[in-house]
Parts: sequence; C-alpha cells; structure tokens
Amino acid sequence: MEESKMADETTAIAPQQGSRREAKAFLIAVAGWFVPGLGHALMKMWGRAVTCFLTVGLLVFFGAGMRGNLFSSSGNDAFDALGYIADMGTGTFYLAARSLEKEGADVSHAGGDYGTRFLATAGVLNLLAALHAFEAARGRKA
Amino acid sequence: MNAGLGFKLSHLQAMLLFALVISIAFGFLGRRRPVDRVKYIVWSLFLFLLVGVGIGWAMYPFSH
Repeated sequence: MEESKMADETTAIAPQQGSRREAKAFLIAVAGWFVPGLGHALMKMWGRAVTCFLTVGLLVFFGAGMRGNLFSSSGNDAFDALGYIADMGTGTFYLAARSLEKEGADVSHAGGDYGTRFLATAGVLNLLAALHAFEAARGRKA
Repeated sequence: MNAGLGFKLSHLQAMLLFALVISIAFGFLGRRRPVDRVKYIVWSLFLFLLVGVGIGWAMYPFSH
C-alpha cells in the first residue's frame, strides 16, 4: 500500500521534472542561437563555447570582409528566404555582419560569392551548435 | 587585404580557411577527448581538401 503510494508520487513528479528540463534545454538552445557559444557556456562546456564563438565569429568576419551577400527579410524568391534563414542562424552576429559590411555586398567577383557562403555556413553551423547544446542539456550523449 | 575590411582571398586560401574553421568546429562538437578531437580535425580537414581539389580537377575539362 505504502509502496504503491510512493510509486504514484514518483510518477507524478517525474513528468514535471522532465518538462522543466525540456524548458531549460530550450532556453539554452535559444541562448546558443542568440549569442554563438552561450548555450554551451551556460552548461560550463567552455571549450565548445569558445570554439563556437570563434568559428562562427571568424566565418562572419571573413564573410562580411569579402563582401558576401547578407540576405534580408525582403527577398524576392525562395532562395533569398533560405539565405535569410541561414544568415539569421548567426543570431546577434547577423547585426555585426551588417555593421561590418559598410560598403554593401559585391558578388561580381569570386570573393564576394565565397563571402556569401561563409555567412550562410556561419549561420547553419551556429544552428547546429545550438541543437548540440539542446541535446546536451536534455541529457543526451554529447 | 585592403582598407575597409575588403579581404582579397584566392580560391585556395578561401577553401583552406573554410575547411580549417569547419573542421575545428566539427572536431570540438563531435568529440569529447582532446586526442579524438585532434584526430577528427585532421581527418576532416584532409577530406575537405581532398574533395575540394578533386571536384576542382573533375571540372577542369569543362573549362576548356
């Protein structure tokens, strides 16, 4: 009788803890997207945090420096929309890239085209890192 | 490189930079132990360059 009562309490508490953990993991993922590496830093994974920050930062820095195309929300077609989603993956670094690209994009030469890929890759890489932080926060192997 | 943050990288330099940065990120995200990370980074970098140069040579006949 006593054991079944304890079991009921345990099953009542477990989903609550699970949902709290999910919410925390979601917040960590959002933080990781917003500032590259912040999600891992919140979990004290310092090596991964610094690596995410530097690699995404370097790609954005060189992408903007090579005058790559930084897509905006007012795109004309699906490819522009996909490019915008990829670029927005860098979180706050999107704004940094905008401020770095004072002269605007120039994809008339190969360097600008490479820059566009660098910027999109930075966003996708940061989304991957945020997903990794999310999985780690949920207790999955990471 | 010139003023105004206008980097001028060659194709090879851009590919090397891209491959190195992505390999480091993959190594740190994908592996936990430092030795495993270094192995992964080196192997990933090698494959990036191999595939990049390979595709470059595969496209070479079409440029003539």
